[in-house]
Amino acid sequence: MTIAIPATPASKPRKFGIDVSKPVLLVFAAILCVLIVMPLSWLVYYAFTDKNGAFTVANFYRLVSDADFLDPLLTTFALATLSALICCAVAAPMGWLVARTDMPLRRTVRLLVTASFVTPPFLGAIAWELLAAPNSGLLNQLYREITGASPDSHLLNIYTFTGLVFVISCYTFPYVFVLVANTLDRTPGDLEDASAILGGSTWDTARRITIPLALPAVLAGALVAFLQAMTLFGSPAILAMPAGFHTITTKIWSLFQFPPKPELAAAASLPLLVLTVMLLRAEHMVLGRRGYSVVGGKNSEPRIVRLGPWRWVMLTVAMLVLMCPVFLPYFALLNASFSKIASHLVSLNNFTLQNLHFVFFELSATSLALRNTFILGILSATCGTVLALVISYVTTRKAVTGYRVLGFLATAPVAIPGIVLGVGLFFTYTRPPFVLYGTLWILLIAFVTLAMPAAYQQMQSAFRSVHPELEDASRILGATRLRALWQITAPLLRTSLIATWCFVFVGVIRELSAAIMLFTSQTKVLSVLIYDLNESGDLAAISVLGLFMLIITFSVVALANSLRGRGNARRNVAIG
Amino acid sequence: MASVELRGLTKRYGDVAVVDDISLAIEHGHLVCLLGPSGCGKTTTLRLIAGFVEPSAGEIRVGDKLISSPAQSLPPERRNMSMIFQSYALWPHMTVTENIVYGLKLRKMDRDTIAKKLNAILATTRLAPLAERYPGELSGGQQQRVALARALIVEPETLLLDEPLSNLDANLREEMRFEVRRLHDAYRYTTVYVTHDQSEAMTTADLIAVMNGGKIEQAGSPEDVYDRPRSEFVARFIGSSNVVKGKAQDEARIGLAGVPLRCVGAKLTPGADTAVSIRPHDIRISAAQPQASENAVPATVTRQVFLGGSRDYMVELKDGTQLRVVTAAGEGIAQGSTVWLVLPPEKCRALMG
Repeated sequence: MTIAIPATPASKPRKFGIDVSKPVLLVFAAILCVLIVMPLSWLVYYAFTDKNGAFTVANFYRLVSDADFLDPLLTTFALATLSALICCAVAAPMGWLVARTDMPLRRTVRLLVTASFVTPPFLGAIAWELLAAPNSGLLNQLYREITGASPDSHLLNIYTFTGLVFVISCYTFPYVFVLVANTLDRTPGDLEDASAILGGSTWDTARRITIPLALPAVLAGALVAFLQAMTLFGSPAILAMPAGFHTITTKIWSLFQFPPKPELAAAASLPLLVLTVMLLRAEHMVLGRRGYSVVGGKNSEPRIVRLGPWRWVMLTVAMLVLMCPVFLPYFALLNASFSKIASHLVSLNNFTLQNLHFVFFELSATSLALRNTFILGILSATCGTVLALVISYVTTRKAVTGYRVLGFLATAPVAIPGIVLGVGLFFTYTRPPFVLYGTLWILLIAFVTLAMPAAYQQMQSAFRSVHPELEDASRILGATRLRALWQITAPLLRTSLIATWCFVFVGVIRELSAAIMLFTSQTKVLSVLIYDLNESGDLAAISVLGLFMLIITFSVVALANSLRGRGNARRNVAIG
Repeated sequence: MASVELRGLTKRYGDVAVVDDISLAIEHGHLVCLLGPSGCGKTTTLRLIAGFVEPSAGEIRVGDKLISSPAQSLPPERRNMSMIFQSYALWPHMTVTENIVYGLKLRKMDRDTIAKKLNAILATTRLAPLAERYPGELSGGQQQRVALARALIVEPETLLLDEPLSNLDANLREEMRFEVRRLHDAYRYTTVYVTHDQSEAMTTADLIAVMNGGKIEQAGSPEDVYDRPRSEFVARFIGSSNVVKGKAQDEARIGLAGVPLRCVGAKLTPGADTAVSIRPHDIRISAAQPQASENAVPATVTRQVFLGGSRDYMVELKDGTQLRVVTAAGEGIAQGSTVWLVLPPEKCRALMG
């Protein structure tokens, strides 16, 4: 190695050497605080004060003593527990089938589960109204047709607790499915081979190796399913309220209807918040010390179990399961879109395009809602992605002291149910200095906050895959931190950025539970419009709007997926 | 303990034969290395022996028992074998102890026996202080020893190792080579060891089978494959070798840059193009013309590097053939000098094909 390098004149320090990076980072931190800390503080304040602003716990006392509040709490608990159990019972075996067996059409099954994943739950609930309302439901009509039962009898009634559990499970089981299938995909076949060569039969291996390895995923999935079922607003609002019972979310909502009781709503929101935090902690602990990362070596092919003749039986079962969240509801929506009467099957003399015409050209609310939805979708996705980009940069590169707090704040909204955030934002922005209620801004804030954890997580894992030295190389040549971020890291992250953007966009256009608390007549969005139309019983228009929403969603998801596929080759270079 | 025999073993995926008509007999208690570059079919051969893959043709016997053939294949769990995987495949949800005793529990052994065997193996592999850790909390070398302990404790008839050292860093790898051999000598299981590292193979094996393109190019003792390579591939893959080409003049000579070169090995067909290998350190180099003129060739030094313990020359013959020559460090010959090379006939090996 050459030691005696002739001394070159040291390059002069850059003249305008003010690195604006730190202030910029601090601004982002402040934004995050405003987004999350303020609404939660107001929520807590309202929960613990009476009308005059004096400290009290009376609100909570009323919550647990009044059957009006206690019943919804208990209902919600039962609902969430049952849904989580059903999800696990259905999704875990299905996840195993697609990941570890030779069942035919495995890819198709995965795609169809993804389809039920992106279907907004409230849309699913409405579709099941079309299918299983006691009188007009298509399935009940079919039942009467076949059995010749009397016109007032019915097979299924979706407006029941059971119906609600069923519909919620339909759109929650993908969470468990995806977790289990991904875990099994990532579990190297070597682990099972090692058991086999030591004398473990297929059953031994399944019992002692495969199932224990997948168990944390199942448990984590169960917790997520529980959370989803607990915090959903749309499905219970559509199915439970007509049946005359409340869940905690619909109860909170009803406390804002006339006459409003915001302090009770705040008090009812807090248990939801606390429970969510606890469940997420529990999910974290499930993983525990064993650290389910796979150690060493390249991953080997997963071991595929041959089902023999059972493969077709299993496929049939899987398809039957998928009837509930996908085939039947989509059929019902399509049918209602093109039928003169939503509850009649489309036939040649019944077919009509009138519904499409009505929705897009006659219904005045449509264009406003579409405009609002797109504005909000694009703005939220852009703001959310940028915010997530900067924050994940700070936390992965440990750029400022206190970066952990930033990371925590960005992840915190995961524990804030949409409706709770809606309540908090309502308190925050109906009073000076920020009177944003009635504007699109308040919805933008809600959507960005809700999207933050997922966006942050995506960006963070993307950042981890780009070696920091790539950026250091740019800085040693004289680029500021921001410039390095912009010119080196950002291009490498492009596909992840676009994927995150799409992800937030899709999340925004289907969001209902925060929007329902914050909309006014001028700031209606698509999801709220659909909910409103359901109140007025206009199922044909809903079906058209719902399908339109699904088409947008699927296109954006497809776009994100195709980009991700193409981006991989470039990403790999960046990792190496 | 039993011998393992492969007969005409073939595995095809579609039209591609990954393992192509391999026959190999492994005496019991011997350690055989399957050595070859990546993609040569060595790991597939091992997985065929383990029973994770079923053969397209041929058979595998252990002792007198047929365990694999296209018609029937004993599942891995009934072969009484053990295997160490390249990834170690330690179960992350079990402690070191749980990992190690897994095979014994499957064999329904009683508690005391298990404890006794466990303590013995923990001592041998120096894992006792780590017994209650999870695999994720161990270093690479420790994980490797757990994998070894887990495989050995069941006292298998046959032990299979799939590149067990490739995930370790260089120092540890060297140490573990001898460890593998030591444990083999202690237990004397019939062992099949897959590696792409020739010094690993040299250190551990009784018999080395050099594989290329799904076939065994040569099988023999380490000395055999090093000193008497039978093909160009083996000559180049095991250590470095000069391979020169010329037309055979008679049964034992080829023409090299106008000089007849006598060599040993396969009988030559006069007139045929023939390859001959010679190791760089077997070539003698001198400034003056040597007295015995057999196999002496004039050449020019094109590069000369002092490596401390030796000197490394690149020389060029009249016809442009490049040869590498390694000599003692002693005296250097400057670049551009004309020199004489002597290629001792007993070191020149005519290669097949």
